[in-house]
Amino acid sequence: MNHAIAFDPELLRRYDKPGPRYTSYPTAPQFSDAFGEAELREQARLSNGEPIPRPLSLYVHVPFCESPCFYCGCNRVITRDKARGEAYLLRLYREIEMVAPLFDRDREVLQLHLGGGTPNFLSPDQLAEMVDVIGRHFRLGRGPGRDISIEIDPRHVGPADVHALARTGFNRVSLGVQDFDPAVQEAVNRIQSVEETLAVIEAARAAGMRSVNVDLIYGLPKQNPEGFARTLDTVIAAAPDRLAVYSYAHLPQMFRAQRQIKDADLCDPATKLSLLQLAIDKLGAAGYRYIGMDHFARPGDELAIALEDGSLQRNFMGYTTHAACDLVGLGVSAISHVGDSFSQNHRDLSVYEATLDQGRLPLWRGVGLDQDDVLRAALIQQLMCTGGIDAEALEERFEIEFEQYFAGELAQVEALRAEGLVEGDARHLRATPRGRLLLRVIAMCFDRYLNAGAAAPARYSKAI
Amino acid sequence: MTLQPGTRRPNPIADDGDEYTFCSTCAFAPVCLAEGLAKHELWDLHCLVEHIGPFHAGEHVFREGDPFTAIAAVRAGTVKTYVVDSHGREQVLGFFLPGEVIGLNGIHSAKYPCNAVALDTVTLCRFSFPAISTLATRLPGLQAQLFRLLSHDISKAALLAGDFTADERMAAFLLALSRRYAARGFSATRFTLSMARTDIANYLRLAAETVSRVLKRFQTDGLIAVERREVELKDVPRLQELAQAVLRE
Repeated sequence: MNHAIAFDPELLRRYDKPGPRYTSYPTAPQFSDAFGEAELREQARLSNGEPIPRPLSLYVHVPFCESPCFYCGCNRVITRDKARGEAYLLRLYREIEMVAPLFDRDREVLQLHLGGGTPNFLSPDQLAEMVDVIGRHFRLGRGPGRDISIEIDPRHVGPADVHALARTGFNRVSLGVQDFDPAVQEAVNRIQSVEETLAVIEAARAAGMRSVNVDLIYGLPKQNPEGFARTLDTVIAAAPDRLAVYSYAHLPQMFRAQRQIKDADLCDPATKLSLLQLAIDKLGAAGYRYIGMDHFARPGDELAIALEDGSLQRNFMGYTTHAACDLVGLGVSAISHVGDSFSQNHRDLSVYEATLDQGRLPLWRGVGLDQDDVLRAALIQQLMCTGGIDAEALEERFEIEFEQYFAGELAQVEALRAEGLVEGDARHLRATPRGRLLLRVIAMCFDRYLNAGAAAPARYSKAI
Repeated sequence: MTLQPGTRRPNPIADDGDEYTFCSTCAFAPVCLAEGLAKHELWDLHCLVEHIGPFHAGEHVFREGDPFTAIAAVRAGTVKTYVVDSHGREQVLGFFLPGEVIGLNGIHSAKYPCNAVALDTVTLCRFSFPAISTLATRLPGLQAQLFRLLSHDISKAALLAGDFTADERMAAFLLALSRRYAARGFSATRFTLSMARTDIANYLRLAAETVSRVLKRFQTDGLIAVERREVELKDVPRLQELAQAVLRE
């Protein structure tokens, strides 16, 4: 399988239009409050009834941050009041008590991921308690394949904390770095030294953690190729197992914090693309494999291996080897993927807490998938994970005539073929190396809701 | 555009009959045809046949103790029959696929001795029992078919009474489903399990975890492939070997 990518700035510029990231299909704009607690319970019941019920993957959202990073579009609450963490944990435990019984006890949890916000807003002791509570209500896997991972803000954690996390069972850490350039750090309100970051990476290795991931962002205010090149060199020297290089999505009308960023400081589209090119070139030269979308991994990493053997999957947490799980999201704004449904918790912290206090699941909205949704989700999953579409596999599984079923969509794809984004006949479509960076543009052709004009394009960030 | 229903789809819908043709899965069509009676000649039978449903998943077709008035052939979907013991525990008696007949065990007591519940969207052909009995006295083939159905119903229950291993039970269960689907013209090697694993477990007298563990092992060993509720039999000879003791072949 050829996973090469070719960087074509002119092409990327032309396709720099808003589009979903397809961490789910249907995408979030299709979620509605018509999907409620009864629907989630039914989906859970059906998922328990499968002959071999899927294992579980848990996501826990910790919304608190001590200070606002201006680029952030995540659901978070800015506070230094540690008592709020304690109050939140009580609600989270209440939610765990209510949600865990929906799933048969023999369904093993293969993956537990803590995201935020800043999960290490909570102390190592609080995090240990949380894992313990989860372990009492769910069956945490004990096998070597089990992942317990956490997103860490290196500014608020010391080597001793990292060792404590490892003792709790955390075996993967993901560090936010974004850019080490001081001018950029000042512009985004996130001052983080190289030293404290490297100390956390070293501690994670010393504590025996299996994997270290580093997140970078390109397109931030004040960012320039010289500074980003230094950041890349520094990060590559620290040799993380995985790297995510995200595109900064400037949507100040949606994310209040982004209004702090001055338009004049934003890099122009050409500079932004050159930052991406820099990342691709440097990571490629350092031996990292391009996994897809924003993700890179060292050749021996499970993601790179999964890419090779075709078992790669994608969900809300990005690329994973665990997507054949039902995903249970816990905490404010968390998203679940249970059976043939997606659902999301309340994203307003006070509503989340009040709903739990009333003894109800803190469900905000969701969507049940019909057969057409399941088919298109499988197709988009194939595309995002293998860079191609296997018509025969889809025909076999869904009993369709591929060319007939997707006649309109394939006509749209022809326009992309003319641009050199895709190759192969209609039954063996593949992204070209030039098209690898524009997988979501190809996926958009197969999105029934986009084509129906149901989603307002302005709600999505641009493709690159 | 919607998905086309195909032959391997979950719980295939039978080709619907009309005044002139039988439903493709009809339990009585072969007998009547063998008697030289096409459907349009069966005005007698026709007037006692009633298409009922759809019943949605979880809806009861009849409950234990209801007066027995009719038997019913499944046209589409799957029906589960069960009783609840004195401790309130459910015991699954059987699963009925398209073309199979429910209610036969109500004949002797004039009451249904069990509950029948739809596992997915179920439609039925209802036969008034007094009327079909009367008709059977005039049509020896129909009578013979009724007896065949009855004796089959009894022998099915005995299938799992023996001292069999979990593997043997599971292999026999899968093969029996395969044969029953094949007998009605559906795929013998690829079908959907519309019953929950707790129902399968209950029916086979196994723990739910054991059902999944055995299926996982069968999958690892290349006997079957499972994707969600769809099962593909990949090595029928080896499954037959395992099921031999139960199926007594």
